[in-house]
Amino acid sequence: MKNTKHLGVIFFPAYDWAISPTHPEREERLLYTQDQLREEGVFDLPNITEYKPEIATYADIERIHFCFPSPQEVSTESHLVAAGGAIKAARLVMEKEVDRAFALVRPPGHHAMKVVHGNRGFCNINNEAILIEFIREHYGNKKIAIVDTDCHHGDGTQDIYWHDPNTLFISLHQDGRTLYPGTGFSEELGGPTARGRTINIPLPPNTSDEGFLYVIDNLVQPIIDDFKPDLIINSAGQDNHYGDPLTNMNFSAQGYARLNEKLNPNIAVLEGGYSIQGALPYVNLGIVLAMAGLDYSQVREPDYNFKNLRQSPQITEYIEKLCTLTMKNYLKPPPLKVKPNQYDTRYKTVYYDTDGINDQQFEQIMVCTNCSGVRHLTSKTHRNSSCMGIEIPIDACKRCRDEGYRLLDEGRRNFKGTTIKFINRLDQEYLTVNEFELTPISRYYF
Amino acid sequence: MLLGIDVGGTHTDAVIIDRGGIAATAKVETDHSNLITSLDMVLEKILSSGPDQPISKINLSTTLTTNAIVGKELEEVGVLAVSGPGLATDCFNHNLGEHFHLLEGSIDHRGNLRLALNDVAAREVVAGCQRKQLKVFAVVSKFSPRNPEIEQTLAELVSTQSDFTTIGHRISGRLNFPRRLATAYYNTAVWRRYNAFADAVSLSIKKYKLNAPLNILKADGGTINFKNSRNNPIQTILSGPAASVMGIIALSSITEDAIILDIGGTTTDIAIFANGAPLLEKEGVSFGGRATSVRAIGTHSIGIGGDSAITINSDGKIMIGPQRMGPPMALSGPQPTLIDACNVKRLCNLGNFAKSFSGLKELAEQNQLTTEQLADEALDTALKTIQFEALKLLDTINQRPVYTVEEIVHGKQIIPQQLYVMGGPAVILAPLLGQSFDLATEVPDNYAVANAIGAALTRTTMEIELFADTGKKTLLIPNLGIKRKINSSYSLNKAQDDGVSEIVKYLKENNHPEIKNEDVSVVEAESFNMVDDYSVGSKTIRVSCQIRPGLEKDYLEGIK
Repeated sequence: MKNTKHLGVIFFPAYDWAISPTHPEREERLLYTQDQLREEGVFDLPNITEYKPEIATYADIERIHFCFPSPQEVSTESHLVAAGGAIKAARLVMEKEVDRAFALVRPPGHHAMKVVHGNRGFCNINNEAILIEFIREHYGNKKIAIVDTDCHHGDGTQDIYWHDPNTLFISLHQDGRTLYPGTGFSEELGGPTARGRTINIPLPPNTSDEGFLYVIDNLVQPIIDDFKPDLIINSAGQDNHYGDPLTNMNFSAQGYARLNEKLNPNIAVLEGGYSIQGALPYVNLGIVLAMAGLDYSQVREPDYNFKNLRQSPQITEYIEKLCTLTMKNYLKPPPLKVKPNQYDTRYKTVYYDTDGINDQQFEQIMVCTNCSGVRHLTSKTHRNSSCMGIEIPIDACKRCRDEGYRLLDEGRRNFKGTTIKFINRLDQEYLTVNEFELTPISRYYF
Repeated sequence: MLLGIDVGGTHTDAVIIDRGGIAATAKVETDHSNLITSLDMVLEKILSSGPDQPISKINLSTTLTTNAIVGKELEEVGVLAVSGPGLATDCFNHNLGEHFHLLEGSIDHRGNLRLALNDVAAREVVAGCQRKQLKVFAVVSKFSPRNPEIEQTLAELVSTQSDFTTIGHRISGRLNFPRRLATAYYNTAVWRRYNAFADAVSLSIKKYKLNAPLNILKADGGTINFKNSRNNPIQTILSGPAASVMGIIALSSITEDAIILDIGGTTTDIAIFANGAPLLEKEGVSFGGRATSVRAIGTHSIGIGGDSAITINSDGKIMIGPQRMGPPMALSGPQPTLIDACNVKRLCNLGNFAKSFSGLKELAEQNQLTTEQLADEALDTALKTIQFEALKLLDTINQRPVYTVEEIVHGKQIIPQQLYVMGGPAVILAPLLGQSFDLATEVPDNYAVANAIGAALTRTTMEIELFADTGKKTLLIPNLGIKRKINSSYSLNKAQDDGVSEIVKYLKENNHPEIKNEDVSVVEAESFNMVDDYSVGSKTIRVSCQIRPGLEKDYLEGIK
């Protein structure tokens, strides 16, 4: 057993939490995984230790999300524990108690965006983003790469880091033309201050081990080598598995373990994966062993059949071309038509499939030549009429910092909505301005 | 009247307890080359001094299997394992003797047979074992608690040439293949030696005309009846420390969260109590280089005791233990010890004070310290280390993983309210330990025979795992060998009732008519829907029941 690493596994199956009794995101999702890990005795191995999650605080959530009307309203205790599991993973690695950590927790989070009104794509709050900003708050402004290997586009994580040049977000997923959430195309490359820091790799249905590992070797690894992150985080969704009921890919437990070994992430966080009997027990075992530097060659699904899972030459050819194109986009992203030191704007409509909320967003980012730029948005749903979010980034220049406070002041005086959320990552100041403070009467009489 | 005997590492203790309290005690030295002699001697002594009333129950704790495993006095075992896909073989095949054989076959987590046992290969391996004249076997397959059929086939294959076979799922119904494997191996490897000892015990009992039921102590602080212990010798490891812990419960009235320190000559054993009950190792005790599935009271042993040597390392750091060089200098030992430091500090007055003082003085002067300083620091180091280790153990227990939101958010934390200190140096160190822990401290009387008292008073324990699948319509209780049909409406409530009644039924058939339904507690009870194609189909039900370690209540009043 050479090159073994001390792996911390934060296993939290949330046996008392489900979206609904027959929803894929239900109580026993990790039951068979736990049976498998227990029967294999992995937690008795000298270099694998099981840990209990922490409970994330609302401050951990509000550090990164604009939650309307409040984090209390859009998350439950389960979400705090899952996010707390990710935080525990971060703490263990940053305090060097372990070499690697795997937060094997649910509910998942990678569809949760910057603005949160409820649940979309089975997610409320973004576990990876909460983990990353926890690290930056307590251990310095680290350069971080997130590799999202869930079959669904990690649109939430992408939205959160769209304007952050210090975070590289790479998502491998089934082509959005064939699967929820219908985004994640090659030309989505990040905002004006972070061009090329968002990389999408939409793979065709029926991509197998060969295709995934080709992308890792020929695209993901070279990009990461170029970016030189301090930490690599894997959003370890397991629904690329050939047995997954919601998707159409042909990835295997061996493939997932190989991918993890190549990627060598400091921290992995479970995302989706709904073949709870046929895939998850084996994929999770493979990832745990690979992260611990142990032999995973004997991990195999009982129904695994290599011949049935081979990808066609057309798929191979398509993926090769996609990789060449994407590499070009990373190295030399097509420029956006923006004016330096002015606001660039985008309109977005975000649909919350689970909660049936439709969100109209208007977002502005300062195209700053000195920092990531102050971010300012308004968001409107039938549930929370009009809300505002202002964010001063962690690397803010004086101008953007002052601009953030100017926006806040102006919002206090003139905003006709319900809530303003203010995030100042630079000075670690976080504010909520509620409706009654926004009305002129309250300002004069309370 | 109850008779408790603990054949321990140094001494063999016996005690007779009647309703008025301790009626007689006896202590002899343990002869490791012949444990039966020690048993005979202690019986001779206690029965000649004890009252005339008849003995109604005998409980015996012995180091036999512990010593056999530690001393590697193990019989060669044919180990036949079926792992299927998963962990690489070198993660689980160590410390299992010279005859480990991995066979082809596979059962999955649901208990489905995915690949049948390779019959031809299995027969060849069995024939090979015969050529090597192996007479005892351990057969273990992965996921056998979910489906025992591969293990049953293997047991059948070796039956003609085997004197004894341990079958994995009969050892434990819990999931943990490597632990089951190690436990089955040890159980087989000590079987012959244990049974020879058991035969001799039978003779002794007859010789002294004792015809009360005989029980053997287990590592979880409970007992197993003598006859059943013959096929489960592994259950008797580490029963001595468990007996001591049970003794402490008898001697004091522990009802709260507490820390128990048993300070001996060379080590201090730490145990943690929750609501007055000792905590068990989560999955089983680690022993002889392997994690096993043997249920055991969780104790943590550190190398500090009354006779621990005081040394100063090259950095000038004062160290206590872990070596014991001999008795304290006060008793003409070779090197200053913790007890010598206590003598210097006038905390006790043991043996020759002058020898303690001159011993510490010499060591102090070599290191430019005053004698007083050295004594202070040595004592301080010992107390701090004990406290640090105890709090670390407590933290580990409080940080144990749990799997529901409810338990994470509202789960109970253990907050010790009381410190119990026993062992030779207990009276000397207890007040100081009480100060450093900032806890009320108690030193129970009669702690010198706490082990034998614990042995005498403890009751039987038992654990089962029940696994029901309403889709397959089967119910399994692996360690009782129960497999039967259920109907598709079988419920969690029914499973809990069945778990309890099966334990009671089994124990009634095995010499424990006193056990009632109320003695059994349901530790875990979970039911999950198995959803197929987005509709709720069948249920997987898991129930775990146990009889917790407990004491004979009728006799407790007299002891206190």
